[in-house]
Amino acid sequence: MELFNREILLALAIFEILVLGLGFALSGNSYLMLLAAQVLLFAVFVATWNIIGGLTGQLDLASSAYMALGGITTSLLWMRLGVPPLLGVFAGGAVAMGLAVLIGLPTFRFGVKEVWYALMTASLVVILNNLFRYTMGPWDFYLPSKWGLIYLRPRTYFELFLIIDVVLVIVILVNVYISNSKIGYYLRSIREDELASESIGIDTRSYKLRALAIYSFITGAAGFLQIVIYSSFSYRLFDTSLAISIAIMGIIGGLGSISGSIASAVIFRTLGEYLRSSLGGVFPGLDLLLYGIMLIIVGVLKPEGLAGLFNQVRRWLGK
Amino acid sequence: MASKRSRIPLIIAIIVVIAVIAAGLGYYYYTSKLSPTPTITPTTPKIEKVVIGIVQPLTGNYAIFGQEAVNAAKLVVDIINNELGGVRSLGGAKLDIVVEDAGTSPESARLAAEKLISQYHVPIIYGAYISRFTLAMGTVTEQNKVILVTDALVDDLSRQGWMYFFRVAPQASSHGVSAVDFVLDEAKAHNVTIRTAVIINEDSIFGTTVSNGAHLELAKKGVEVLAHISYPYDITDMSPIVDQIKRLNPDIIIAIPYFSDGVLFAKTAKAAGLNPVFIAGAGACGFTDPDSIKAAGDAVLYYTNTYSYNPAKPTDWNQKLVKEFERRYGKMPTEAAGEMFYSLFTIYEALEKAGQMFPDDPLNPDHLRQAFLSLDLSESNSIAAQLYPTGRIKFAPNGDNLYAGTAVLQVQLINGTLTPVVVWPQPQAGVQAIFPRPGT
Amino acid sequence: MTPLDLLVAVVQQVVDGVFLGLFYAIVASGLALIFGVMDIINFAHGDLIMISAYFTWLLSMNLNLDPLLSMLLTLPILFLIGLGIQKGLINPVLGKEPLIQIAVTVGLGFVLQNIALGYFKAEPKGYPAPLFSGGFNLGPFVIYESKLVSAMVSLAVLILLSRFLAKTKLGLAMRAVTDDRASAMLMGINVGRVYLLTFAIGMVLIGVAAGLWMEMGQVTPYLGTSFSLVSWVAVALAGLGSIQGLIISAIIIGVAQSLGSLISPSIQMAVVYLIFFFILWFKPRGLFARR
Repeated sequence: MELFNREILLALAIFEILVLGLGFALSGNSYLMLLAAQVLLFAVFVATWNIIGGLTGQLDLASSAYMALGGITTSLLWMRLGVPPLLGVFAGGAVAMGLAVLIGLPTFRFGVKEVWYALMTASLVVILNNLFRYTMGPWDFYLPSKWGLIYLRPRTYFELFLIIDVVLVIVILVNVYISNSKIGYYLRSIREDELASESIGIDTRSYKLRALAIYSFITGAAGFLQIVIYSSFSYRLFDTSLAISIAIMGIIGGLGSISGSIASAVIFRTLGEYLRSSLGGVFPGLDLLLYGIMLIIVGVLKPEGLAGLFNQVRRWLGK
Repeated sequence: MASKRSRIPLIIAIIVVIAVIAAGLGYYYYTSKLSPTPTITPTTPKIEKVVIGIVQPLTGNYAIFGQEAVNAAKLVVDIINNELGGVRSLGGAKLDIVVEDAGTSPESARLAAEKLISQYHVPIIYGAYISRFTLAMGTVTEQNKVILVTDALVDDLSRQGWMYFFRVAPQASSHGVSAVDFVLDEAKAHNVTIRTAVIINEDSIFGTTVSNGAHLELAKKGVEVLAHISYPYDITDMSPIVDQIKRLNPDIIIAIPYFSDGVLFAKTAKAAGLNPVFIAGAGACGFTDPDSIKAAGDAVLYYTNTYSYNPAKPTDWNQKLVKEFERRYGKMPTEAAGEMFYSLFTIYEALEKAGQMFPDDPLNPDHLRQAFLSLDLSESNSIAAQLYPTGRIKFAPNGDNLYAGTAVLQVQLINGTLTPVVVWPQPQAGVQAIFPRPGT
Repeated sequence: MTPLDLLVAVVQQVVDGVFLGLFYAIVASGLALIFGVMDIINFAHGDLIMISAYFTWLLSMNLNLDPLLSMLLTLPILFLIGLGIQKGLINPVLGKEPLIQIAVTVGLGFVLQNIALGYFKAEPKGYPAPLFSGGFNLGPFVIYESKLVSAMVSLAVLILLSRFLAKTKLGLAMRAVTDDRASAMLMGINVGRVYLLTFAIGMVLIGVAAGLWMEMGQVTPYLGTSFSLVSWVAVALAGLGSIQGLIISAIIIGVAQSLGSLISPSIQMAVVYLIFFFILWFKPRGLFARR
């Protein structure tokens, strides 16, 4: 099977044209541009999560831990040792990956699965949150006031948007590569039925670890961009509800579907901001309330997620 | 297969056309922005209204404060527009406010500021109550040269080297200092010696900064701090901490809670029989506000707390605002409302000054800044100062109020009801501080 | 601190930890029952407790009743509400992907939190003068009345539950379904009816936990988060199948948290979750599992 067939590259090209077009259209309005950058970064994390959640079927709820760990590592390398973030993000990714694998090894070895894996990863976020709070204190730490591509800290939101777009394209390509390769084949098999996969000789632990490693590395590296948007970091970056949101977006998009993941991330994050800004002052919490209702509706009525919808549309197009 | 392929080129064509149109619109929009920035007002004569952006937490844990502040803002704007005739030096221009929810993270606070600036072109933003939200907002306002007047108290905010930043309210560390000074003043007046203290605080930046202020002041005044305990504000069980304090047996306790933990502490302390010479709160959260009293009952009797606002201050305008707030909203204005009262009136004074000093271009950010810096408000020459605990407002170069100070309220039994009353620096009429705690 | 002081502090924490643990046991019992019998992953467990707590508070404030008494009034209503939630929300997601169940229950949690926020606002609500708000000294130790009472009530209710599961027909049916659903169906057990009643009973347990909490503390819309994870840790630690196991596990957690707070109040929860990690690694079925 071809790794990168024509259809996929075509779809990617169209997607990129849309994204860039949107970027140019919004570049005059700093509010919308910042929002677009935030939404796109959120899509990056959801699309990356797809590797462990969608392709491998593991309910990982620790993405904010990897994000924070990687981002803080990159920031500290810059602040203390002067390492420019353009290089530092690789170290950040490595540290996040290191922790993930360190915990993943015994976890997979001892067969922790499904809901227990989910809870364990959620606890990891809380443990790190408490640990950093204890060692770092409640203080916020600010990024140095230096701008430039080498610091991954552009002066305009538009350039930030472009950087995030580049990362997104990379993540999409990684997803496609894995999906269409031998690894993806094994991961899918594990997702469908882990027990059966073991019995036909697939080393499930090794492949799960690989998926975990890739996902945590990218999440850790991209974590720095999240700090750039906040322009500061603190122990609060280890946020369970963010990790849960990312996983949920992946589910709503349809497990395994890269287009579904991105679509759900973009739609719901934008919708969330719209509800917050238009209704937040009127009836506090209404935006979160509607968000919750939507989750229930999608979960109950259409569990295949947005990907299911896309398939229906594609079939209609094919007629 | 053949029919499937045939649709796709059509769809591609449509998408490309849309993208080109979008890009074109964007380019047009972008280049139209290159003309003079909207924050510079045209030199045409009349300013109809001045729009002030308000960013407050309206959702999440801090929603109580935000909601109160917004209510206070509406009241003040009403008075300025209808009773005072608007900003006279700007030809009677009315004040208008636009409220944005700061949301639950610095990210959303920043978005809120961006929205106010890019869509409403506000010259001044007030907010965002929570210090770390305000830090995110501040980078935006400073970059865009929009004046930020804040109600967030953490000291760090005025140490960023920002030029367009002002804070009328007393910063966090002064709350800690006030609490200690109050206790030591009362101790002296009642011939009680205080030798040892324990400080407990919720471990956010705010709680930590206030507690550090208290700690330094205690050390300065020769009181030994036996323990300085930090705990997470959402703690569900205070008994280990209360037990520890009981073992240490300090003369006084300085406590900087959030809300739930304050109620929890008071109840647990009562159950454990913890009764030192005095328990003083600091930082304006918990113990003495109506909701905490409702939830804790007489567990909080004799507790005190420091506030950035004194609702019982006997000046004419203060009494008037308090009465009107109570009439409209059914409760007494507390911290968040009070800060809004005097900050918004200070903004009003600054606008008046700007109109006088720079009649041609009053809303220019640098002119506004100079107007703020030139203010020297006292109870006799302004409404704002009448609303402020110390009665004086004048800004230091870093934006803080040179005459910052807090008021101390205590929960006492007045006619059989638990009521918060002002006991320091000037007790309200017919009341005096109850010190030490009865039973010690 | 002298060694004697340290000993006193440690023993005090252990005592408090046991009381806390018994309370956690009742908090987790609703989840254990529902998850065990129905295999439903409910991430909104804590939020259900939160809503029940508000309910108890409303009754307490309006009828001027101690929370323990108004709790008794809430129980039958919560039973009915449980029937409703099961029929309307849980049935549709039974047997679906765990991820979907998590998504739907997280959604439910958001809905509950924000309804509470909109209606009650964010200030904590508490009952000012509960019956058991004092404490007494036992030598150098402090015993808090509210904690003692809640521990005793929890224990009593849990013993009742254990009896119910062991002796009554419905109880046996629930245990059968927990152990092996397919066989239970083959034996003629009406699984649908068992599910319905299980959830309703689970809600009653949630109501008890909420009532006990209101006796000790106060409620905010965000109370749920504190309880959800801890409940799951307790269930994981215990494994499924025995109430006694749940009680012991919950006590372990309570004592660990209390001792952890001696190190620092800020990391007491981290201690609990670290225990969780090690349990999952070395005893993934839990300490006292039957299946």
